[in-house]
Amino acid sequence: MRRLTSGNEAIFQGALRAGAGYFAGYPISPTSEILQQAAVYAEDHPDFRFLQAEDEIAAAIATISASLAGAKAFTATSGPGFTLMQEALGWGHAVEAPCVFVNAMRVGPSTGMPTQPAQADLLQIKGGSAGDYYPLAFYPHSVEECFRLTVTAFNAAEESLSPVILLSDAFLSHFYEIADLDTIETEVAPRMKKPLGTGQRLFTGISHDKMGNTRTSHPEIYKEWIVDLKERHLRVARKYPLYEYFPRPGSETLLIAFGITSRIVSPLKERFSLFRPIRIFPVLEDELRKVTKSYRTIVVVEGSDGQYASWVECAVGRRVSKIPCLGGGFKLRWIQGQIEERLKGIEA
Amino acid sequence: MDRSYKDLLKIHRYPHTWCPGCGIGAVMKNAAIVLNELGWNYQNTAVVSGIGCSGRMASYLNFDALHTPHGRALISAEAIKAVRPDLHVVVLSGDGDLASIGGNHLLHTSRRNANITVFCNDNEIYGLTGGQAGPTTPRGTKTITSPRGGTHPPLRLGRLLTMQAPYFYARTTIFHLNHLRTCIHEALLWNGFSFVDILSDCIELNGRRLGFKTAHQMFKWFDQRFHIVEGVRDRLNEDELGIASAEVEELPGPVEKVEVRPEVSVESLKFFTLQELQRYDGTEGRPIYLGYKDRVYDLSASPLFQGTQRMRCHIAGKDLTHEIEMAPHGEDLVFKFPLVGRLV
Repeated sequence: MRRLTSGNEAIFQGALRAGAGYFAGYPISPTSEILQQAAVYAEDHPDFRFLQAEDEIAAAIATISASLAGAKAFTATSGPGFTLMQEALGWGHAVEAPCVFVNAMRVGPSTGMPTQPAQADLLQIKGGSAGDYYPLAFYPHSVEECFRLTVTAFNAAEESLSPVILLSDAFLSHFYEIADLDTIETEVAPRMKKPLGTGQRLFTGISHDKMGNTRTSHPEIYKEWIVDLKERHLRVARKYPLYEYFPRPGSETLLIAFGITSRIVSPLKERFSLFRPIRIFPVLEDELRKVTKSYRTIVVVEGSDGQYASWVECAVGRRVSKIPCLGGGFKLRWIQGQIEERLKGIEA
Repeated sequence: MDRSYKDLLKIHRYPHTWCPGCGIGAVMKNAAIVLNELGWNYQNTAVVSGIGCSGRMASYLNFDALHTPHGRALISAEAIKAVRPDLHVVVLSGDGDLASIGGNHLLHTSRRNANITVFCNDNEIYGLTGGQAGPTTPRGTKTITSPRGGTHPPLRLGRLLTMQAPYFYARTTIFHLNHLRTCIHEALLWNGFSFVDILSDCIELNGRRLGFKTAHQMFKWFDQRFHIVEGVRDRLNEDELGIASAEVEELPGPVEKVEVRPEVSVESLKFFTLQELQRYDGTEGRPIYLGYKDRVYDLSASPLFQGTQRMRCHIAGKDLTHEIEMAPHGEDLVFKFPLVGRLV
């Protein structure tokens, strides 16, 4: 049925489509609606378990534990809550628990501007927890894509046996668009991991060998494990090389924008080429290198002070122009003015 | 003696990491004995533990075991029980883990009465990290972070966990072995959140600093400090070992709403139609009338409606039944004013 649907609704419906059976969360703007929908849904569906946890730490640990217990589980939060979830995120990678963390970004640090959108949690999702791990993160830009990518995130979680992060922002989560979610066709990956109660395994955050025995002073066993973890994530990442590219013939400038920013700058497609990464992490290095080759200027427009732009610089090996839209100030005219200024500076 | 409980232990992982004289082995062994008696095994039970020496219990038990980050054992166990109600979920952890860093989860998992069993190896110290003062360390105890004796009183788990019904709290020690096994048995069979506080020793990092030479001397100390009380109590004193439980939840009574009704006979009132009511909007010296639930009230005396002034979104001369239902205040505000008619 075609109807007005918000980003948060689409994410929740996408999770149900993917077969989610557990949600734990803690109220926070702008993802409280997902928590509310889960609570209402759980009333009528005894197979769907719901927990309003005492804090985000508990919500994240419960999500991972529920996943190990056998349910497809997810949680939703925003920047400050995601900071609390970092501990669980690292643990989730260590115990190989497939689950989805939804993070709708708002202006930080700390409480910041709770109702204003930002895109400044990128470094936090990439490496906020201790140690080396290689999370997958997807970032939709429309309500319909929220639905699709939620299913994709669940599938990627099952394949990579790890928490996968679905990004959103305060705009997208509260954004209403006409969408027909029922007719969208999706493929759903089955649960491969055996649930609890079927073996004598140890799920531990301590470095361990394949049998689950703890090994705390064996670098070679640790290296074997981390290499396996990295390969598994990169393999799954290769399966989802998601991006959009709109070349503009004759343009020497490439705009890079993602999520809600790509919607805002989309009128500029008339003048410049636009590249929109959908898979944010692992960074689309090969694709970025290939696409940026033919452009003189690369401009990254994002809701943070260059968090994604620095990854682009690393990937393509040259300087890029950064346009940070800070404090929720995503104004097309302002962005356009900034681009003109940068281009003038480069030509002069 | 029946040694079949050893099937529940990962003997191939031995020798274990614990120091000679440590109490954790006794906690694990007696838990395994009772689990074996009950016929619980890896097919119907999951084990969760936290961090620390006591957190290592999960790795020596032949179950699907979760070794969670520091303090998160309880919420993890609660989630497992929610998804898999067919599994028995047992938490084996320590006092620093459950009461300090996991204190918030202890409060809320017990409040939600998650159907899990918790065995707390309470050695009154942070053992693995070298003997720092913990949440249950008695006042005045010398530790490496309280060299002149701790200045804060300990967290009294017994009082904390018996505050809200239903509850199951048992205190026992590793010296009183039969009592320990009884408590474990009762806790495992309890339907709801059950917590066994097992006083245990850490001879290497706590006992020696307190002046004990051997673990056995510490056991004797437990014997002097505590005595067993029979039967099921409501509360346990700090020197008592036993079981305190309450099955019945204390529900608050329903909220009684006082209804305010105007004392005017309805029959004698004048009838108003909506069009007639509209005239009484306070303009040209007319009174201010409002419709509410088929009645008309005179709000001329209200300081919030003066002349043509509106009270926020409420407009005089209209039927405001719907608006007042949505308003943050109740209908008693309307009933304060004189009743002048009936709406048709």
